[in-house]
Amino acid sequence: MRLNRWLGPCIVVLALVWLWLTYAYIPAARVPEEPGPRAFPVVLGFSLLAVGIAISFAAWLRSSNKPSPELVKAVTARETAIVTGTFLLLIFYTFFMEKLGFMIATSVSILIVMRVLLGMRQWRFMLTFAISVTAVCWLFFVKLLETPLPRGLWLM
Amino acid sequence: MDTVAQAFSAALSLDAIGATVLGTVVGLFFGSIPGLTFSMALALMLPFTFGMSATPALGLLLGVFVGGMTGGSVSAILLGIPGTPSAAATVFDGHPMAHKGEAGVALGSAVIASTFGGLFSLVVMILLLEQVAAVAIKFGPAEIFALVLFGLSTICGMAERSMLRGLVAGLLGLMMMIVGLDELDGVARLTFGTVQLQQGVNLLVAMIGLFAVPQVISTFIDHGRIKPLTIPDNVRASLPTLRQLKDRFWLMIRCSVIGTGIGAIPGTGGPIAAFLAYDHARRFSKHPEDFGKGELSGVVAPESANNAVTGGTMIPLLSLGIPGDPATAVILGGLLLHGLQPGPLLFQTHLSAIYALYVSIILAYVVILVVQLWGIRVFVKVLRVPPHLLAVCIIVMCVLGSYAIRNSTFDVYLMSVMGLLGYILQRLHIPVAPVVLGLVLGETLEKQYRTALILNENSHSIFYNSGVAMFFFGATALMLGLQLWSSLRKRRAAG
Repeated sequence: MRLNRWLGPCIVVLALVWLWLTYAYIPAARVPEEPGPRAFPVVLGFSLLAVGIAISFAAWLRSSNKPSPELVKAVTARETAIVTGTFLLLIFYTFFMEKLGFMIATSVSILIVMRVLLGMRQWRFMLTFAISVTAVCWLFFVKLLETPLPRGLWLM
Repeated sequence: MDTVAQAFSAALSLDAIGATVLGTVVGLFFGSIPGLTFSMALALMLPFTFGMSATPALGLLLGVFVGGMTGGSVSAILLGIPGTPSAAATVFDGHPMAHKGEAGVALGSAVIASTFGGLFSLVVMILLLEQVAAVAIKFGPAEIFALVLFGLSTICGMAERSMLRGLVAGLLGLMMMIVGLDELDGVARLTFGTVQLQQGVNLLVAMIGLFAVPQVISTFIDHGRIKPLTIPDNVRASLPTLRQLKDRFWLMIRCSVIGTGIGAIPGTGGPIAAFLAYDHARRFSKHPEDFGKGELSGVVAPESANNAVTGGTMIPLLSLGIPGDPATAVILGGLLLHGLQPGPLLFQTHLSAIYALYVSIILAYVVILVVQLWGIRVFVKVLRVPPHLLAVCIIVMCVLGSYAIRNSTFDVYLMSVMGLLGYILQRLHIPVAPVVLGLVLGETLEKQYRTALILNENSHSIFYNSGVAMFFFGATALMLGLQLWSSLRKRRAAG
């Protein structure tokens, strides 16, 4: 898969979407002698469009000469699973931190990472590690830095 | 004199010393572990500075910065893997020295050279900062816009693989900065009715997501695939002999000059300085054939240069408000967080804070000397912690750190999205650092652009009527042109 061949058009599309959003949702200047809140975003949109066209043009030039050595490493199923898993875990952790409190959410999230994403099976070690990390974080954030961490809306 | 006394008492208070020591140790730790960057450490440590006053907070951040730059040499010498890109040149002779049983001398010399380079650049920084600020204070919005644009384009242009991708990254960062309330007109831009977005994309949240989460994901992916690092037992750092130091004294000075000069140019940084210094040492050596086989000068040269970069990068950061690399971008975030707006006015409003910053850097180097010369054994034991367990701790710190910024779960969701974006960009070979720099510099860039136009009745002539602005526009064009020419030449040479 050659990277630049589709990266350029994607950036062009992104720039066009940005320009549409800018013109549709950001008001123009109230006073004609002033640039207004839309001016700079428009400059950025056109700059991105120019860069996208340049990348597409460079890719087209290269394809007419010889293949580029620069390839994107194929995305493996394992990689997709870990990236998606980490993202979902972050969402899960944040949601349950608010609902169940920092203590439970942190310990459970650590256990999930170790079991699901890292494939660990040593439950005694995993439990000790999860509880220790949670305790150290509680000491550091709550006691030392006096930062209030969520106690859990469902438990209060 | 009062200002100096105030600075000393602030920087040498118990909490400031404690914060600087902690920061330096964390920096050394993150710097020495391959895969963990000190930019990430800086982003993770930022939320911890909320409860601190400005001096301890800056002490903590500067400690991480200089500690991180120095720590890279430990794994470069012992394992042959640089802990940071800046230590890559140290591998060439540091690791062969370890093979010859001279790891102790290599580690000791690296720390002496690092401290020398760092303190040398601090002196240059002290001498130059106020001069640069005195010139910059005369700049109007058009000149500042051109200067910031130059800084940003240099950083984007220096992207490792392609200048165009660096520009894409910089523009993405600038676009993210647009979201939120417009400061000049009070208009909500692209918030789509979301109240939390009115404050914009929080810089610290974005930094944590972009720097830390992709690294954690990569560690999870590599878990079980890459063999754990074998760290030698009984490591001890020993001081080089006086003769060895005397023979290399002028080399350290020359390499420190190279490092400070390179550091002062935005977008360059430690790796370039270290490689240039290594090349300089080899070219001017009486025995160039010894390089690559365990020559002490091959360790001293890059280490003094990469640490000299720390002072060099602080010159544009403090006097002009332009960060030269991702690490100084995070430090800029820390300065802003504590009410210190970098730029020429900083020297008039917060002079004692600047002096305190100098003292904190000196203190950080004292800590580095103590930790690396006498505590290296304990330090090496810490390096044995498996990276996947560190990654688990980092992910918890990402969540709690993002939450602690504004006590908002929205920020944690935003951090997660930024983390995913960071990983996708990394996979597409689009550098993440310019995104952060775009976010950091975007506000100034837009404000100066619009202020210049308002002052000139919406006419762009204000930019080309200013000699200074035109100089920086020319420099921007030259820098981008040179990058383009260099990448075309490389491509042609590759056939």
